[in-house]
Amino acid sequence: MIDDADVSELFISRARAVAARVSVVADETAAESLVAEERRRVGEANVGVARAARGIAETGTCVVETDGEEQRLATMLPETSVILLKAKDIVPRLGDVAGYLRERQTDGRISYTSFITGPSRTADIERVGAIGVHGPLEVHIILLED
Amino acid sequence: MQNTTASKPRDYHKQIASALEDSFLRRALDKFAVEYRASRDAVFSEIDGAAAIKRIADMKDGAAKRIEELYLQFKTEAEKRGVKVHRAADAAEACRIIAGIAAENEVRKVVKSKSMTAEEIGLNDCLRKAGIDVCETDLGEWIIQLRNEGPSHMVMPAIHLSRGQVADDFEKVTGEKQDHEDVQKLVKVARRELKPKFHEADMGISGANFCIAETGAIAIVTNEGNGRLVNTLPRVHVALAGLDKLVPTVDDALAALEVLPRNATSQRLTAYTTFICGAGPCAKGPDGRKTMHIVFVDNGRTKVAADPLFSQIFRCVRCGACANVCPVYRMVGGHRMGHIYIGAIGLVLTYLFHDREIAKTLCQNCIGCGACKDVCSGGIDLPALIREIRARFSKEDGAPALARMATVAMKDRKIFHALLKFMRFSQKPVAGRDGFVRHLPMALFGKHGFKSLPILAPKAFREMWPALRKHHEKPRMKIALFAGCAQDFAYPQHLVAAMKVFEAANVEVEFPMDQTCCGLPLSMLGETASAKEVARQNVAAFAGKYDAIVTLCASCASHLKHGYARLLGEDAAEFSSKVMDFSSFVHDRIGLDSLRLKPTDEKVTYHASCHLCRELGVKDAPRAIIKATANYVPSAEEECCCGFGGTFSVKFPEISAELMRKKLANATASGAKSIALDCPGCAMQLGGGADRQKLDLRVVHIAELLAAAL
Repeated sequence: MIDDADVSELFISRARAVAARVSVVADETAAESLVAEERRRVGEANVGVARAARGIAETGTCVVETDGEEQRLATMLPETSVILLKAKDIVPRLGDVAGYLRERQTDGRISYTSFITGPSRTADIERVGAIGVHGPLEVHIILLED
Repeated sequence: MQNTTASKPRDYHKQIASALEDSFLRRALDKFAVEYRASRDAVFSEIDGAAAIKRIADMKDGAAKRIEELYLQFKTEAEKRGVKVHRAADAAEACRIIAGIAAENEVRKVVKSKSMTAEEIGLNDCLRKAGIDVCETDLGEWIIQLRNEGPSHMVMPAIHLSRGQVADDFEKVTGEKQDHEDVQKLVKVARRELKPKFHEADMGISGANFCIAETGAIAIVTNEGNGRLVNTLPRVHVALAGLDKLVPTVDDALAALEVLPRNATSQRLTAYTTFICGAGPCAKGPDGRKTMHIVFVDNGRTKVAADPLFSQIFRCVRCGACANVCPVYRMVGGHRMGHIYIGAIGLVLTYLFHDREIAKTLCQNCIGCGACKDVCSGGIDLPALIREIRARFSKEDGAPALARMATVAMKDRKIFHALLKFMRFSQKPVAGRDGFVRHLPMALFGKHGFKSLPILAPKAFREMWPALRKHHEKPRMKIALFAGCAQDFAYPQHLVAAMKVFEAANVEVEFPMDQTCCGLPLSMLGETASAKEVARQNVAAFAGKYDAIVTLCASCASHLKHGYARLLGEDAAEFSSKVMDFSSFVHDRIGLDSLRLKPTDEKVTYHASCHLCRELGVKDAPRAIIKATANYVPSAEEECCCGFGGTFSVKFPEISAELMRKKLANATASGAKSIALDCPGCAMQLGGGADRQKLDLRVVHIAELLAAAL
C-alpha cells in the first residue's frame, strides 16, 4: 500500500518507468527557467507547455485539463511536451481522482480531461516498443515542490 | 476486407495447417505468450487483482440489468452538453446513421482511431461505398488496412506481421525504399505519412471504452495519441460504442481502468486516457464548436443482456487477455481464432453477433484449459459459455456422430464397461508389453500419429479391487475412491500406487462398484442431458458415509466438484463438498510428515494439469509432494496446457501435437528425468508423446512418486 509521505517519490519513479523525464524544482521561477531552457534546446515551436491539475502516483500520470483546443494541441503536436505539476496535487491512486473528475463533468459542464502517462508509444510492429508515434516524443514533467 | 475464418471444418483445418507452418507467426506468438505472463504478473502484483476483477464483474452485471435506464441517462446528459446520441438496432443501421452524419456534414475524408465496434459493423466498407476516403490512424490498424486484412488481435491488430512485411507495404504506399530492419524508422514513416491526414480530415471516428451514464462522458484509452488527434482536429467527431460500454459512474470507469491496461498490455495506465464530456470548442466547427455524435450499437446486445448465462459478456472490456493466454491462439493466430473479435470472447461473440456457421466450426477449437477465464478482466466464465454454445448447436442440429456414440455408450455403466472390456480383448494383437499400442504401421494414424496410444490394461482397477482392498482396525479416515475411466481401465497402476499411500497413512478406502464415467466428455460434447444422468448415477453410488471422495484425475475432480454443482445444483451439494484431488488430500488431510518419506535425488519436474491448477486452484500441494519425494526442478510454463483436452486432441490433432511438443521440450530443457502430474489425460498425452519421440523422460503420476518414496 502507498504511504502518503512517499507519493512524490512514487510518482517520480513510476513516471520515469514510462520514459517521462522528471525534474524537481523548488518554485515557479525555477520552473520557468527550465521551460526556457527546453525552448532553447529544441526550438520554440517544438515545445508545448501545459499545467497538470492532478498527478497520480501509482501510474506516473499527469491529469491535464484540456477543454480548449489550444491546450489540447499543446500536449499533442509539439515533439516535446512540458507539463508542470505541483507536488501537493499528487494523489496516491487512480481511483483518488474520481471526485475531481466528476466535479468537472457534473451540472452540464463540458470538459475534456487528458490523463497523460509518458510519451506517445506503440508496439504495433513485432511488439517492439517505439516512442513518439503520433504524439510527443518526449514528456518532461516539472515537479514543483512548493 | 478479407473474410478470414472458414465456416467449413475442412477449410478451417487447411487454414490451421497453414498457420502452423507460418514460422514467423509461431515465433512471434510464442515469445508474446511467455513475455505477457511475466509482465502481467508484475503489474498485477501491485493491486488486489481478484477484488478489482470482481468489482468490474459486479458493476457490469448490474449495468446489463438496467441497460435501458443507463442509455437514457447517458443520452440526456450527453445531449445537455451538445452531443447528439443515436441508437442503432443492428450493424446496417449503425452504418447508415454514420454515413448519414457524413453526408449531412459534407464529409469527404475521415480519420479513424481503433474501434472493434467499427470492425463489427463493417463501417469502413460502408463509408468507402459512399465515396468517402477512410484512413485508419492506429499504426497496427493502418498496416492491416494497407493489406486489406482484418485484425489478428484486439489490441495489437498486426501482431501476425513481420517488420519486413510492414516495410514492403510502406514501400508501396510511399513509393520510397524502406528500412526492413529498423522498427523505429518504420514507426517514423507512419508518423510522417499520417500527420497530414489528421489535418485534412473533415470527420474523426473513434470507439469508446467507457460511456459514463451519470455525466454523458466517454473515455477513450490509447497509447499512440492518434485517438486524441482524431477527436480533436476534424470538425466532426463520431464515437461508436456497443451498449455494453455503458457504465453507471465515473468511479466505475476508473475501477475498470485499473484492470484494462494492466491486462491488455501490462501497463499501469496507457499513455493517453481521455475523458470527453460534451461537444467542446473546435476552431473548424460551426460557431467554433465541435459537431459531436455518439452512436450506440445494439446488434443483439439487449437480447443478450436478458440471457441469464450469456449476459456475462457485458463484463468484457476488450483487453484481449483471453487471446494472450490461449494456447490455441498461440498456435494458430487471431485469423483462425475469432471472426472479428479475437480469442475466447471472439468465439462467443461470433456466435452471438455474427455468423453462426463460422461459430459452429470455431467454437470446437477451444481446448477448455480455462486459461482465459483465469485472466479475464471481468471474470467471464468463457469456457462454460463456449461449452454452452456447443450444447446449443448440438441440440439444434442433432449431435455429431462422435457425441451420439459417446452418449449411447456412457449413459449405461454396464454397456460402457462391457464395451471397454471388448476393446481390451480386441486390442490383443496390437498391444505391446510396455503399455502402448504397437505392431501397427504409423501411417494408419495420419495426423493422430504424434503420440503413442496406451493400451487398456490387462486388468482394470475394479477387477483388482477385491485383492487390493485392506481393512484397517482403527483407520484415521474413511474415504471413497473415484477411479475415473482412464485410470480404472488404462492406468490402474496410478490407483495401485495410491492404495499403498493410503495404507501407509492408515486410511480406509471404499471403492463403490456402481461408479461410472464422471461425464465430463459428455459435457464437453454438449450432451447436457446425458451428462446429468451420469452425474446422478455417481452421486447415488457415493451415498455412503465418507470423510472424503478422492480421485487421482484432475479433470474428474474438477467436474465432480464444479460441474456437478452446475448440472445438479443442490442435489450434488454434499457429494461435491467431499470431492478432493489426490495431491490436496495427501498434502492437506494426511500431511506429508506423517508419511515418513525417503526422498530420492532424481530430478523431477511438474506439469500442472489445467483442471487442477485453474479449475480447482491447486498449485502448491503437488509441488510440495515432489519436493518431499525427489529433487524438484521447475520447468518453463508448467501451467500451460499439454494439448490433450479430451476430445480436443481427436478433433484438432495438429494443434494438440504442437502443444504437446512444446510441453515436452520445456520439460526436457529443465534437465528432469521425470515429469510428474495429477491427471491420466495428461499422462496419456505426454507419456504417448515421450514414447513416440523416444525421450529419456518418464511420465509419472504424483501417487507413483509418493509410493516409491514410502
